[in-house]
Amino acid sequence: MSEAGELPLAVDGLTTAFRVEGRWYDAIRDVSFSVARNETLALVGESGCGKSITALSIMGLVPKANGRITAGRVLLDGRDLVPLDETEMEKIRGNAISMIFQEPMTSLNPVLPIGFQVAEALRYHTALTGEAARARALALLEHVKVPSAARRFDDYPHQFSGGMRQRVMIAIALACSPQIILADEPTTALDVTIQAQVLALLAELKSETGMAMIFITHNLGVVASIADRVAVMYAGDLIEIAPVEELFEHPMHPYTEALLSSIPRVDRDAGDLKPIAGQVPPITAMPSGCRYADRCPLRVPRCATMPPLVGLAVDPNHQVRCWVRAADESVSA
Amino acid sequence: MLPYIVKRLLVAVPTLLAVLTVVFFFVRIAPGDPAFIILGDQASPQALAAVRHELGLDQPMAVQYVDFMSTVLKGDLGTSLVTHRSVWGEIANVLPYTIELTLSALVIGVVIGLPLGVAAARHRNEALDYAARLFSLAGLSFPAFVSAIMLLLAFAIELHWFPVISEGRPGDPWSRVNALVLPAVNLGLIMVAYVMRVTRSSMLGVLGEDYIRTARSKGVPARVVIWRHALGNAMIPVVTVVGLYLGVLIGNSVLTEIVFNRPGLGKLIVNSLNQRDYTMLEGLMVIYAFFIVIANLLTDLTYGLVDPRVSQR
Repeated sequence: MSEAGELPLAVDGLTTAFRVEGRWYDAIRDVSFSVARNETLALVGESGCGKSITALSIMGLVPKANGRITAGRVLLDGRDLVPLDETEMEKIRGNAISMIFQEPMTSLNPVLPIGFQVAEALRYHTALTGEAARARALALLEHVKVPSAARRFDDYPHQFSGGMRQRVMIAIALACSPQIILADEPTTALDVTIQAQVLALLAELKSETGMAMIFITHNLGVVASIADRVAVMYAGDLIEIAPVEELFEHPMHPYTEALLSSIPRVDRDAGDLKPIAGQVPPITAMPSGCRYADRCPLRVPRCATMPPLVGLAVDPNHQVRCWVRAADESVSA
Repeated sequence: MLPYIVKRLLVAVPTLLAVLTVVFFFVRIAPGDPAFIILGDQASPQALAAVRHELGLDQPMAVQYVDFMSTVLKGDLGTSLVTHRSVWGEIANVLPYTIELTLSALVIGVVIGLPLGVAAARHRNEALDYAARLFSLAGLSFPAFVSAIMLLLAFAIELHWFPVISEGRPGDPWSRVNALVLPAVNLGLIMVAYVMRVTRSSMLGVLGEDYIRTARSKGVPARVVIWRHALGNAMIPVVTVVGLYLGVLIGNSVLTEIVFNRPGLGKLIVNSLNQRDYTMLEGLMVIYAFFIVIANLLTDLTYGLVDPRVSQR
């Protein structure tokens, strides 16, 4: 793992609460991880496990009306972003950290030309204006391989396909050469062939620029092809984080294990698929201890208190949040 | 954009013809015999027949229809049954008053209603939002003639800021403007209420859209997100309402003109109704219909400006 000083982004003990019928509940709690330069960290888990909320918390885009960060730090080059006000965050968003969203069809403004929307990202973070911003925006669109970008610069989003719109979104995110890019299921809404093209583009751009990427997905196939490390989330907790091969070969957390054996595979019989018994508890009835305990075959009385995320003695880069498994592997706390 | 404009113009023509047809039959099925009204109930049958012949009322309906359409399309609205002066001349005399009233009300409505609606949406469920909603509810609940009387009592009779009879002296532009203020405010307040409500609800919908989050994730300042990204999209339903309401505004201007004793189409229409001046009424209906068609055409063209998806369809 890299030295702390090289880490563009470190999330430490992040807890974000949402208000449901007048009461506040933790949607994610005590989430900690970091990403190094030129590294892709995949954030995986089922829908509703807090992946997107983690990303929005990093961006400072948690809707203020019913959500707030209640604890933890988001360190960008060592500077905590959580206490920053809106004006200060505006200088960071789209500049040091950018985000690509899941839904390309609705994520671009329908009444503004796409070229303008790319140039707009430059306008507020760079000295580029007018023709210079336009030229740079055009270069960005060509860079993400939008065909005949010059001719289509002033076209509107409805004149583009989903895949092309996602390329435009990527161009926007890349505009100010961010240190970190947050990609929230950027390929989920796309056709499989387009999905592969967009993944290849993202990988290519990442290796060119050396930026760090947090790639949010529920698709473990995509994880295997793009990630360096994987963090698994369950019901708002980050339960395991490990280098990608390590996680696929030696999953430690019982939920990760179950998740991996629930992937359909061509070389296995459908009868071997093991769906996970039980359901994720609703946010209003989360246990205070391990949130997976109710569904876990390894449960012990100690699971009623929340286990810490600890590195394994054999490999400190492989961290797991489980009393049973951490003890089995003679953990170094 | 140009093909779109041409298309909208071409659609407006048959609409106008259809409306003229309705006006023609509407006047024909209305009770009362124009010849009777002109000559009074003591007239001899011969005299009545002569007048009917003069007016072309003894012709078959089809011939009357062709006559009517061809004269109207030539811009000739006939002569008044009461004053025997040209209908178009009478209308043209007062038309500027109605146009200046309606347009000022429209401007007041948009210039105040739009920012108020945006502010209410931004500060949803805060004091400002409640105040704006209360104001707009009041604006929508008061009939135009009630608010007109209240404005007159307060600002003309008590405070003497504005004249009671809002006509203005000829050749004195300042007195004309001064006379316009109260009626324009009266009509404009209703417009403010409508525009504010639609802008607010439309903005609330748009602020939850994905592209607003995208704009914020780019680091676009909050002010620009609101006015460029959100309002640009929220304008689409606002244009619809303003367009539709232009018609209602013309209707409400009738009441306002009467209460403020202002010359205009409203006063003309009430006088012609009282005097059963059929040709004048026919002419007025044609003019009103023409304005509604124009308002709709302008609304369609504004859509094309506001929403790129419309003009390229």
